[in-house]
Amino acid sequence: MYPEPTNIWERIEYSSFGTAIAESPWMFPTFEVLHVIALLTVIGTIAVVDLRLIGVASRGNRVSLIARDMLPWTWGAFALAAVTGALLFASKAHSYMINPWFLAKMSLMALAGLNMLYFHRTVWRTVGDWELDTPFPPAAKLAGWLSLIFWVVIVFCARAIGFTLGIYY
Amino acid sequence: MNDLLFEMTQWLYTTPLNAFAQGVSESRMSEIVVSWFWAIPLMQTVHILAIAGTLVAVLMLNLRVFGLAGHATVQETARRYTKVLWWALVFVAITGVGMLFGDTVRNLLNSIFWIKMTLLVAGMALALGYSRSVVRQTAGGGQVVSAGTRTTGIILVALWCLIILAGRWIAYAPA
Repeated sequence: MYPEPTNIWERIEYSSFGTAIAESPWMFPTFEVLHVIALLTVIGTIAVVDLRLIGVASRGNRVSLIARDMLPWTWGAFALAAVTGALLFASKAHSYMINPWFLAKMSLMALAGLNMLYFHRTVWRTVGDWELDTPFPPAAKLAGWLSLIFWVVIVFCARAIGFTLGIYY
Repeated sequence: MNDLLFEMTQWLYTTPLNAFAQGVSESRMSEIVVSWFWAIPLMQTVHILAIAGTLVAVLMLNLRVFGLAGHATVQETARRYTKVLWWALVFVAITGVGMLFGDTVRNLLNSIFWIKMTLLVAGMALALGYSRSVVRQTAGGGQVVSAGTRTTGIILVALWCLIILAGRWIAYAPA
């Protein structure tokens, strides 16, 4: 028997939906594995583009063509990561919302998204003018570095959540 | 299934691996890893990023082989992602060994851990063999590889997903 919820996060956690995931012996681990596979695909495909932007890898290839190859997979995997992430969240919503690592992970994902949005609305518009240059414009390199840093720290926060869940009240 | 895994784990405790794991867990290296709270999360982060590199290298090479993505020739794509594979696998191995010092007994005497190790060795060998085979078969400028190699590519993606599954499942294995 669960206590009476006192906020929206407890309401989600104690809902029949949230408790079904938390109490099932297979649901949480299964969603977790799918979440990890999806997140790895997101990070891996983004890193391929970022490493090209900062000039570390794939230097003989046009960044616009690399991005065209990667982005459908990035978005598809991101959709799967978001759905499975929401399912995992529902099972322990209150615990997640008071965990600073979870909040840091969500904030960094928002920053990574804003970085990508800004990059695509500014420097990327003229990619055809500079993608054959060496090195790339500083703004493009900066966007690549920021994206890489954000995603590496997001992975660290994701692991830190697992080690700290339940220690904050 | 759980009973079988539990019996496997119990059997592991009767092997010389038990004394070995106990010995490693009392080593100086284990002390260092255990005493610093963030050592394992940091190694896990690098481990996860390395597995992401491996998974994406295998996935992208496959997509090019099947003509579903990729702008470069199959040969160029294979060469590019073989480099990524090597680097990623080196980091998977180094961080994997490092993490063992953090919880040696629970890992070495865990049936799922050995299932993961078996899959991992197969995944590493198959990934490197696959990329080498693609490079060899397209050396003359061809863009098509044999049906066997294509099948291996599909198996490889599934195998790396299984490795990820086993990696997460270690935490849930009966001990």
